Amino acid sequence: MIEEYRGFDIKSLQRPTPAPPKKTPLIRIRGLTKRFGSVEANKDVSLDIHPGRILALLGENGAGKSTLMSMLAGRLVPDEGFIEADGGKVRLESPAQAIALGVGMVYQHFTLVEAMTVAENVLLGQTDSFFVSPPHMKRRVAELATRFGLDIDPGARVADLSMGEKQRVEILKLLHRQSRVLILDEPTTVLTPAETRRLFDALWSMAAQGKAIVFISHKLEEVMAASDDVAILRKGRITAVMEKNDIRSKSDLARSMVGRDVILSVNKPPVELGEEVLGIDDLSGHGLKNVSLSVRRGEILALTGVAGNGQKALVEMVCGLETPPRRKLFILGERWRRFYARAPWKNALSYVPEDRKGLATAPNLDLVDNVLLTTRQGFVKGPWLMRSKAADATDGLILDYNVSPPRATALAKQLSGGNLQKLVLGRELYRGPRLIVAEQPTQGLDVSATEEVWTQLLKSREDAGVLLVTGDVNEALNLADRIAVIYRGEIMGVLDANDPSQVARIGPLMAGLAGTEE
Amino acid sequence: MALRVVKRRNPPAWSAAAILVCALVLSLGVSLALLAAIGKSPVHGLVALWNGSFGSLWAIEDALIKAAPIFLCSLGLAVAFRMQVWNIGAEGQFALGAMGATWAALTFPHAPSWVLLPLMLVYAGLLGAAWGAIPGLLKVKLKANEIITTLMLNYVAIFLLEYMVYGPWKDPASFGFPVTPEFTPSAVIPLLGVGRLHGGVLLCVFAGVLLWAFLRYTRLGYELKACGEGAKVAAYARMPYNRLVLFVLTASGAFAGVAGFVEVSASTGRLMTSIMAGYGYTAIIVAWIARLRPVPIALASFLLAALRVGVENIQLDMEVPAAFGDIMEGLILLTILSGQFFEQYKLVRKGAKNAPAPSASQETAP
Repeated sequence: MIEEYRGFDIKSLQRPTPAPPKKTPLIRIRGLTKRFGSVEANKDVSLDIHPGRILALLGENGAGKSTLMSMLAGRLVPDEGFIEADGGKVRLESPAQAIALGVGMVYQHFTLVEAMTVAENVLLGQTDSFFVSPPHMKRRVAELATRFGLDIDPGARVADLSMGEKQRVEILKLLHRQSRVLILDEPTTVLTPAETRRLFDALWSMAAQGKAIVFISHKLEEVMAASDDVAILRKGRITAVMEKNDIRSKSDLARSMVGRDVILSVNKPPVELGEEVLGIDDLSGHGLKNVSLSVRRGEILALTGVAGNGQKALVEMVCGLETPPRRKLFILGERWRRFYARAPWKNALSYVPEDRKGLATAPNLDLVDNVLLTTRQGFVKGPWLMRSKAADATDGLILDYNVSPPRATALAKQLSGGNLQKLVLGRELYRGPRLIVAEQPTQGLDVSATEEVWTQLLKSREDAGVLLVTGDVNEALNLADRIAVIYRGEIMGVLDANDPSQVARIGPLMAGLAGTEE
Repeated sequence: MALRVVKRRNPPAWSAAAILVCALVLSLGVSLALLAAIGKSPVHGLVALWNGSFGSLWAIEDALIKAAPIFLCSLGLAVAFRMQVWNIGAEGQFALGAMGATWAALTFPHAPSWVLLPLMLVYAGLLGAAWGAIPGLLKVKLKANEIITTLMLNYVAIFLLEYMVYGPWKDPASFGFPVTPEFTPSAVIPLLGVGRLHGGVLLCVFAGVLLWAFLRYTRLGYELKACGEGAKVAAYARMPYNRLVLFVLTASGAFAGVAGFVEVSASTGRLMTSIMAGYGYTAIIVAWIARLRPVPIALASFLLAALRVGVENIQLDMEVPAAFGDIMEGLILLTILSGQFFEQYKLVRKGAKNAPAPSASQETAP
């Protein structure tokens, strides 16, 4: 991903034909709201989709882009609001209904039959007669592909195709089903630079033939290059809709994407700094470029940036899930290898991962077993596990961290995201860590849970250094003492979170602009 | 009436038992229909099955005795399956155990039984464990799929057993039959004094309690359970995954090996090819039906052993082919496995009023 646009400059890409003016919209989305438990994934969203134009839906991870488009594609049913197509209200309860209406979506994970050919995949379930004629099928698919500039061999086996070609097959499937609105969910994450360019050509070709295109992204360059309109989604709401030609600079876009409203003011008394607990010295590889960072006891260092810029690789190496190059990473003053050879459970490193279900917890085990995951060494006597002691400790955590339902026998999968996160945080702090790595710790949490998590993290500074990995600038500003901005695997700068003049640079840095306005 | 599948929010507590009963009734029904199809009376078949399996004390004793090796193999498999390590090789590990016990019995025929029986147990356990460790090492070192390697080693083990009874261990006084000499009395597990039940049944109880306590009260037991929840959690919690894989395959091999010891010592009193009656495969079915928990494994072992005994009776009584027993066993597994679908899902009439949307209730925010 780092080398994504090597070989050509994405900014040089130009739509060959101008976008048609906005007339009557094909689809009108009005007041859509979708809740998952107590979390509002979309709140009162209204949006118009016009034929012949490319709409980019821009937003952070978890901003609600996929939820919104899943409602349009019939995968989710909205709790409030409605969708109008061709001027009439429609109710979409299944993808089949959406496709019948001409709305189709290409998901990030392809749904193709690997053992079949391109033509067979495109026509799967679509043939009008019982008998199929392979030459005829191939011809039909070839015609369709040529018409929209989606160059592909209809006779090729899908298993032999590249990701870009598979994506073209998915698009062809939709075109063959007469889709008028094509939704693409983060289409470029799986593509090489050359394939990205071809995808854009195909998008423009389809738009020129009257298709409406919605493409979901969090990459600013692509949005600026490919789209006609940009809608920005933040925390489930539309915060801005603009025509591309009205956008003055990329940093404008970045600012409205990450927002600047400070919702919660947290009391952040300074803590005296102690020894270095995490040292990263010129670390490269796994998508990172010359990263150097240092976290000391008593501070929170926020690592912020748009998702997918190398944060994951960095966290996995620090937390021992991936092996870093030698002599680049130091934990609690020890070399990485030496630290992980012993990896003590107590007074060492705690990791609060983004993936709470499936990585930080085991959904089918009860809360005691889940607490034991990282604390079991503290509850053993010889070969025996002292489960009743662990159950007492779990009860204590449930009480202290306000976990609901307050039963240690509950299974992890019965807990809501917020309660699960409180349990994980409680467990990880129980280990008395000196270094805490917290990854998107409040993503998907409601306001009260967010506040509890924030308070705990701030309190933990007294004994530990915290590396807070977050895409939410508010979170970084509220919690961190220093903020490091990462872009394409490089640290663009480390800023003082208490200095307003430096804080203003965060938006441009996240967009890859080294402090200079475009 | 169109139906559609909806995921259950909270599976009701009674569902597992209800599904088991339905599956048994259904598979019995299909089996009886098969009998009818080959021109035998299903009613007669049902009576013969009942008489053969539960109809007399003799039959129940027989089922208990046959359940012992199945139970031991299945206990071992449950340990491996808990970690999602698919050991299909209990059959071969059982064969190695039987050979180990025989080896000890033929080497020290005149040792007193308090020396010889433990020795046979240890030989059997060690050889079974070694046979299980081979696929374990292959999986850990070479990433070889354990399903394939354990299955293939079954054939190797069976041929090895045949080689021993046709060759080095053949009884000179057997008139050419492929059997070893009969064991000396000190190599035979003594009877308990309750009908025909032997000490192997007691060994089963002991092994069951041991395993239950191990899984419940030890750190290793906990780690096995947690590892079974997925490789990601295991890596996050820094579990020694490879060591655990090796451990479970070795341990389940040892259990199957002990089963082999019980079979040659208590049931046949010598090594012969007919001990390979498919207990190791039946044990897989048992472990699944019982969902890897020791007490249900005991019940399911008894149930399937009783079925074997009952089907033998049908075979003798009604002259049906021997494959009929395998068919019934297969039907029971199939119906129970497919029945487990209904624990997670239910069928709802299309257009029913308060049915939740099919996927909406399960989706989470991206």
